[in-house]
Amino acid sequence: MHEFSIASEIVRNVLDVAEKNSARKILSIRLDIGELSLINVEQVAHWVQALFKGTMAEGAEVKIKTIKAAVQCQSCGYKGRNIPDSRDIVQHFAAFICPKCGSPGVKIEKGRECMLRKIQAER
Amino acid sequence: MKIIKSKGPEIFDIELEKDLLAKNRALAKENRKKLDRSKIIAIDIMGSIGSGKTSLIKALLKKLNMGEAIGVIAGDLTTTIDAERIEEEGARVIQVNTGKECHLDANLIHQAINGMRLDGVKILLIENVGNLICPGEFPLGAHKRVVVTSVTEGPYMIVKHPYIFKEADVIVLNKIDLAKAMKVNPYQLEKDARKINPHAPFIKVNALSGKGIPQVIHALGFIS
Ligand SMILES: Nc1nc2c(ncn2[C@@H]2O[C@H](COP(=O)(O)OP(=O)(O)OP(=O)(O)O)[C@@H](O)[C@H]2O)c(=O)[nH]1
Ligand SMILES: [Mg+2]
Ligand SMILES: [Zn+2]
Repeated sequence: MHEFSIASEIVRNVLDVAEKNSARKILSIRLDIGELSLINVEQVAHWVQALFKGTMAEGAEVKIKTIKAAVQCQSCGYKGRNIPDSRDIVQHFAAFICPKCGSPGVKIEKGRECMLRKIQAER
Repeated sequence: MKIIKSKGPEIFDIELEKDLLAKNRALAKENRKKLDRSKIIAIDIMGSIGSGKTSLIKALLKKLNMGEAIGVIAGDLTTTIDAERIEEEGARVIQVNTGKECHLDANLIHQAINGMRLDGVKILLIENVGNLICPGEFPLGAHKRVVVTSVTEGPYMIVKHPYIFKEADVIVLNKIDLAKAMKVNPYQLEKDARKINPHAPFIKVNALSGKGIPQVIHALGFIS
């Protein structure tokens, strides 16, 4: 359950940045999470909200944007995304194989993100 | 009459690009530096629950026969069972309990290597918590990553958890003695692994009998 450690890291950062910006209340936060990352977004949102309780961020909305995968083949140069829209991690297997030349030498350029991107606050 | 309008609260956005896994990666780099300064080669041993990580470590210790020149960090949720099993082989063992966490992280390893006597240690084997998902997101700073899977987990482990196998430097298929009974074809698993990671040696092992252990030692760049 690495979602809990990630959520703790999010909450620590949100409260820290908000304080530095003299916020009094946090209304929402936005995260970017890549579809190839092994992170359960519902669990992250759940833990963030639980950890927000009793802070200035209590009740804040947790918005999560899924970043689509983008891979580049190191053999033939193919660029793209080789998986269907699905949250099933079994689909990831295909993402690591070039659909054009079958090479396993694909570099993941996008889809592994786990980022805090925006905090909406009141002062 | 003068009306004083209260100025409503000001709403504002703070945009940032805070990578939440960066802190672990930075600490992993620090760990690596410290290990390099101490001339220690560290191996992160990951794999599912019960795949045979502790058995593999015991077999490696037996074959390498280096006594206290091998250190072992035994990661476990709460128990010291594995640490005790490993200690029997004469290695220097430190137990790291992760509590509720399903993986070791760079910070726990940082604490462990700072709290451990490292004089004379040449190799550090790290048993990660049994799990094929979480450890993949948390590099520790080890020089090589071994993933241990076993035939008793069925024929689809690699297809279901491609990321950790893609990132592996060495893949161990353990409990090869049980392949027939489990109706698992080791060559199909090897093919699956090759499809996403053609570089990592794929080694069929029986950690209890020691079959395949010399090949693992060779793949890790050690001499037995
Ligand atoms: N038949 C057979 N059994 C094995 C082999 N390797 C390990 N086992 C058995 O599998 C069980 C689990 O082995 P461990 O080494 O404890 O596995 P682990 O991955 O360390 O387990 P956790 O740390 O609990 O996740 C034990 O009963 C071992 O004796 C093997 O090659 N063949
Ligand atoms: Mg074990
Ligand atoms: Zn290609």
